[in-house]
Amino acid sequence: MTDVLLPGTIVHPHGLAFLELGERLRQRGQFAAAAAVALAGLGHYPAVADAHDLLGRIRADQGDDAGAVSAWRAALECDPAHIGARKGLAFVAFRARDFPAAERNLEIAAMRAPHDATVLAALDRIRALRPSSIADETPRLADSMTGTLLYDLQGMRLTGGAGDEAAADTLAAEGAGLSRETARAARLLDLGEVRYLAIETPSAMIAMLPVTTETSLILHRPAATPIGRLLAQAEHAAQAARHWLEQMR
Amino acid sequence: MREVTGVPGVVGALIISSDDGLVVAESAMEDLVTANVAALSAALIARATRAAAAVNPSVPTTMQFVAERGAIFAVAGPAPLWLVAVARPDAELGRLRLLLRDFAGALG
Repeated sequence: MTDVLLPGTIVHPHGLAFLELGERLRQRGQFAAAAAVALAGLGHYPAVADAHDLLGRIRADQGDDAGAVSAWRAALECDPAHIGARKGLAFVAFRARDFPAAERNLEIAAMRAPHDATVLAALDRIRALRPSSIADETPRLADSMTGTLLYDLQGMRLTGGAGDEAAADTLAAEGAGLSRETARAARLLDLGEVRYLAIETPSAMIAMLPVTTETSLILHRPAATPIGRLLAQAEHAAQAARHWLEQMR
Repeated sequence: MREVTGVPGVVGALIISSDDGLVVAESAMEDLVTANVAALSAALIARATRAAAAVNPSVPTTMQFVAERGAIFAVAGPAPLWLVAVARPDAELGRLRLLLRDFAGALG
């Protein structure tokens, strides 16, 4: 592949120079050539998330949104924390006017990279496009990207997610432990029924609340989410979860 | 700590060690068993830390546990210390949250 390197192309120490070359071709508008380079690179490095990300950007430039989404999902399978893939998925969703999906992907990106100015600016823009009310977020329990997870007290995930399957299963397991601990604390301190537990970290706001005696729900949102809004969304999601459980029965 | 317990509805304020769940300092009403609060708060903090780690790599700075008849607020100070307040549900939770944050910062 060295005979097609453009002037100034940096040869990657691990043989990933095709990433630079493909990006340069893409920026020049030579999408077919860029795609050929990206696909050839992926043939050698199928587990490199950046290569799938490159292909996603090329497909998006070609107007092939389905191809772009497929490439970015492949990138996330290689690296669930890949910011570029999240931004890409948000871009395609935005182009399709699916603003909630765009926002969710940007929120996940913001949690992974809380100081990324491009992500935060995009998140601001997308939020400015819709009314800012607590009821505007329709709970989508079946969507693993929503940052809403319903689990049982054995730590089994029922629906929803935390970005990727493995993280969701881990969160369900840890969430069950947290739910049991809140029930124990409430019982031993004679505090009555558990209403919620909220956790603030430098990069996320998390709320856990019981849905039924056997199930609980966890919401996680970017750190910029006001706690009142987080709790309102959690209550809204809990109602949706009760409805979902009734339908399952 | 007396300033924290001065917030209407707050029945106790403690500095605890989250490592072992022991009380380091306290100001509380007589009927509040602060040793129990400290131990259970430390257990909640440990569980909250593990749950937060499943979402992202950062550690909790604040934990707010609200139940039917009371609430526990905990704010991280210099490790392993946490400032914990026990409040009735009708307490001014927003004011308490801000006050605890200020005091936790001053613990260092």
